[in-house]
Amino acid sequence: MTTTSPPKTPAGGPLGRLLGRRGPRVIAPLVSGQEIVLIAVIAVLWLVLGWATPAFLTADSLRPLLIEVAPIALIGVGMTLVIVAGGIDVSVGSQMMVCGVITARLLVDAHVSLPVAMLAAVAVGALMGAVNGVLIAWGRVHAIIITFGTLNLFQFVGRQIFGSQTVNGIPETLDVFGRGDPGQTLGVPHSFLLTAVIAAAVWWYLRQTPGGRHFYAIGGDPLAAELAGIRVRRRVLLTYVITGALVGLAAVFTLAKGTTTLDQSIGAGQELAVIAAVIIGGTSIMGGRGSVLGTILGALLVQTVSSGVTQLGWPSNLSDLFVGLFVIIAVGTDLLRQRARRRSR
Amino acid sequence: MTTAAPPSTNAPESGAPEAPGRLHRAVRAILTRRELLLVILLVVVLVWMTTLSYGGYLTGPYDPDYLSAALVDAVPLAMLALAELLVIVSGRGGIDLSIGAIVSLTGMVFGFAHGLWGWPVLAAIGLAILVGGLLGAVNGVLVAWLGFPALITTLATYYAYKSLAIVINDQKPISTPSIQSLYSMTEAVEIPVIGRNIPNVPLGVFTFLVPTVVLVWLLLARTTYGRRLFAIGTNDVAATWSGVHVAKTRLLAYVLAGVLAGVVAVYVTGQFASARPDAGTSGNGLALPAITIAVLGGVAITGGIGRVSGVLLAAVLITWLNAGILLLFDGNNGSQFQLLALGAVLVFCALLNAYTIRRYGGTR
Amino acid sequence: MAEGADGVTPRLSMTGVAKRYGAVRAIRHADIEVAAGTVHALVGENGAGKSTLIKILSGAVTADAGAIVFDGAPVQIANTTDAIALGIATVYQEPQLFAELTVSENIFLGRELRAGPRIDWAAQHAKVVELLELLGVPAKDATAPVGELSIAEQQQVSIAKALAGDAKVLILDEPSAILTDAEIDVLFGVIRRLKESGVAVIYISHRLDELFRIADVVTVMRDGATVGTYPLAELSVREIAELMVGGILNEERSAREVPDAPPRLELRSLGLAGKFHDVDLSVRPGEVVGLYGLVGSGVAEIASTIYGIEPATSGEIRIGGTSVRPTSPRHAQKLGIALLPADRKRQGMFAFQPIAFNISIGHLGLLSRLAIWMDRARERRVARELIDRLAVKTPSERQPIGAMSGGNSQKVVLARQLVERPDVLVLAEPTQGVDVGAKEEIHRIIDGLAAEGTAVLVVTSDLPEALRIADRLLVVRGGTTIAEFGRDASQVDVLAAAAGARDESPATVATEAADETGVTA
Repeated sequence: MTTTSPPKTPAGGPLGRLLGRRGPRVIAPLVSGQEIVLIAVIAVLWLVLGWATPAFLTADSLRPLLIEVAPIALIGVGMTLVIVAGGIDVSVGSQMMVCGVITARLLVDAHVSLPVAMLAAVAVGALMGAVNGVLIAWGRVHAIIITFGTLNLFQFVGRQIFGSQTVNGIPETLDVFGRGDPGQTLGVPHSFLLTAVIAAAVWWYLRQTPGGRHFYAIGGDPLAAELAGIRVRRRVLLTYVITGALVGLAAVFTLAKGTTTLDQSIGAGQELAVIAAVIIGGTSIMGGRGSVLGTILGALLVQTVSSGVTQLGWPSNLSDLFVGLFVIIAVGTDLLRQRARRRSR
Repeated sequence: MTTAAPPSTNAPESGAPEAPGRLHRAVRAILTRRELLLVILLVVVLVWMTTLSYGGYLTGPYDPDYLSAALVDAVPLAMLALAELLVIVSGRGGIDLSIGAIVSLTGMVFGFAHGLWGWPVLAAIGLAILVGGLLGAVNGVLVAWLGFPALITTLATYYAYKSLAIVINDQKPISTPSIQSLYSMTEAVEIPVIGRNIPNVPLGVFTFLVPTVVLVWLLLARTTYGRRLFAIGTNDVAATWSGVHVAKTRLLAYVLAGVLAGVVAVYVTGQFASARPDAGTSGNGLALPAITIAVLGGVAITGGIGRVSGVLLAAVLITWLNAGILLLFDGNNGSQFQLLALGAVLVFCALLNAYTIRRYGGTR
Repeated sequence: MAEGADGVTPRLSMTGVAKRYGAVRAIRHADIEVAAGTVHALVGENGAGKSTLIKILSGAVTADAGAIVFDGAPVQIANTTDAIALGIATVYQEPQLFAELTVSENIFLGRELRAGPRIDWAAQHAKVVELLELLGVPAKDATAPVGELSIAEQQQVSIAKALAGDAKVLILDEPSAILTDAEIDVLFGVIRRLKESGVAVIYISHRLDELFRIADVVTVMRDGATVGTYPLAELSVREIAELMVGGILNEERSAREVPDAPPRLELRSLGLAGKFHDVDLSVRPGEVVGLYGLVGSGVAEIASTIYGIEPATSGEIRIGGTSVRPTSPRHAQKLGIALLPADRKRQGMFAFQPIAFNISIGHLGLLSRLAIWMDRARERRVARELIDRLAVKTPSERQPIGAMSGGNSQKVVLARQLVERPDVLVLAEPTQGVDVGAKEEIHRIIDGLAAEGTAVLVVTSDLPEALRIADRLLVVRGGTTIAEFGRDASQVDVLAAAAGARDESPATVATEAADETGVTA
């Protein structure tokens, strides 16, 4: 949109005036068009599901939904960074297995306190992320192939640490992130709260700081970004390390929401759910465009579909079909937007 | 009309530098001729495992009988790797993550047709091929016609097909007697005439693998389609300017991949005597090993480069390596080390492929 | 401080610069002095060395010899970062911006204005508005991604970005090529403001008439050397053209007889919305018609429309008298039209594939049985015939094309067009990036093709080449054919026509320029 006269909305729209803004809008709106659509879709789904099964809109039903969303959304925050900067990471599921089993082992066998276990999980996750990041940033191979490989490698490590099939006797200290009463404040699960806080911090970082904006530049044109003085390789490495660290924390949440037994299926298929959430949320798979808010909404949508399917008594695997469809719609929308822009030039 | 210039000289106009010394030339040959590297690795694995076997380190004999029997697993892997070969060679980031899910879904369809509705085997196989092709066509239309990025698109169809495969029979596999009788098609058989001196070979190698390898090789090396496929994978802009219909050619690659997956579904159903809803999607799925084998076999992830011989050798190498690992470690450890092997191979090969392309212009 | 008067240290001076790429001497000897607060035009034909000189200044390549002095101090420009640090900014035709980022993000990338850890959006926006005002252009929507702006606006953003980086020397590479007339007016306004604020603007263009509206002095380059620097007030378009071309060259022309026959290819009022309009031309069998136009003239689009890449929106194409409408390259081929693409690497070559592959692609139906099974023996035969015929230097048709020289690989791509004896052969930039020896061979091949009866259309921005091989030469400018020359045309005539000389007398031109700036020359 160009203007040959002063901008059309001198005070940044009615909301802007409300907030006391003078002068033209200087930064993109808080919520993008696609995100508004997502909010609407989620709202509609909730209403429809609430009408179909009245139990859906109760706190007892919504709280588990938020608990389920938390780990996906949290990893999604990191994955948003990765994809915006032009990469991808399909090894997060395996990373979660490693972090999960290490945390469980530390809690059960070594009797460490919860904060220490959490720290360990985050550190291990960050380390795995660093492996990915180094191979991708310096190896000059496409991220999908590298992370396909590390998916296997991490899974191997995880299984080795597992030793036997399961880890039993997960202590109650995790309940602060669990499903029960210790796990919530004012009805909102702690895991979701912590996720929201971290997401907000990253959202702010991406929107307001030079470092955050540089990720978009890297995703848009890595060569030009390098020429502009951005240290592309380091920043790409950072995206994978952050993702790994968040996987560690998400593993703790996942442990907490489960039973006292941890089996090897933890993390299985998570990478797909996370990537789907990010793409549905409006981040472009080509890089250079995306937002954390969209990812949270995407995760909410995916989980809503999943819970809804269960509530309606449909086969639970049907939710995957819907997720696949939503991803196609999201990618198609992104493509249309790109084509429309090219034509208007 | 000839020009006034003299006829072509024999002096090579090659811009590549002269390889100084035998070691250099050897390294270069190994890197650029993928088959050579694979044969070397195969020999290394065979020698290593056989030595361990003689030394008593393995839980079972690593001998020709065992290796021959292990080929049962090579059949579906090689065929799916060939499917990925077609799709990856087609370029523009071509890849198919949904191929394992196509196997699952087509397998269930086959199970319905032959197991529950009583269709004759050939008709049911025809249906499997048709359905596989259709599922591949969905990928192809999205990616080749509409321009969707292949990675995320086949990720989405993976989701969709996987769920349909499970939902279609309420999570239950189909193992009626007619399905179970198919097991015989994957059994090991004795080869006529010379059979007594060599181990029994799984029938599937002859009925499934060999025909597929031959057909795909002929397609790529001898047909006009093969030329067009390599053209669009090498440079699809130049292909357009040369009059090649890029979208149609690319679409067909995804359809063919689906068809191959359909055939694999029939085989896998026979192998397990059951049409399972997670036939291609259990664990990490079949797409991952298929892509690994393709990359190991010299297929460039950027498109335009790849050979059937390389993929076939890579499939055999991985199969026999995995077979050895199973003997080397006991119990669950074995399958875990297979993961390690697969992951390490993929990362290493991808780095190697990239280096080879940069330095030598690709493998041959 | 703006200093434009004599006797003051020039902002930038280059002396004795030379650069060679392998055996090709891109620049033999270049001297140039650019004063602050002036608009300094740089002209020369393709291959004269302009772009190499600019690349040296912007740090994209380093000179083999020569000294660069900036504000009186000798400097080394080893890479683009050095150039930017000195204050030399370059704006190319294709905007080098991040499409998804906003105007202020693009301008301040890497040197953001901060308020603590945050970016100070308001301050950046204010500065952007200030910069744009300085340039005399309206403010842009601060929150829209730059990809949504028009090309002209993106160019303005690129210039603002250069200004934000305290550019002292701004290089504009053919900026008007992609702009409409109205947008060019705006651009010139911007350039004048830059000049007033002391920036030295180096303006590269083929549009000689434009120079009189905007530039103070012009440096002419020819054959890798700077011929001289002249105030524009003392020259006319034609005189500049003469300087660009040099003395009367003994230009070889073809002696081929063009048979009198009805035209095989005709374009009647052909148009493609936004690119070209009312193009009329005809090519007879056995004739070589040249189509000469500068970048942005629409000449490349005419070629690709004939070939079906972008079907025309008005007018008609006739092949052998029948009206046709090619809708794809495949369709065009069926109609008997072949085209050698302009950008060999991107549009012509299949790099790792052997020569035979590169020749047979596009003719697979012919070289196969039932259009499915490749007839490899026939393919080999055809490839070898063409290799011989075009004198391609190679030991075998199996050699990968990627390792071959420019001239040889161009011959292979040309060979592809000749497999099925086209009725109409369009050649776009046939000798771009080709060494002199192969260039002559290709010209002879073209002559030979015409002698065989092919209707040949050569689209080129290489004027000597056009004059050498064409029987008739049409000049395209502003999207339409404006002049036609025969074999006896001189380079200067054609160049002047293409560059837009209307009334030739210096007086008229100077008055026009004076009217625009409001200053007497």
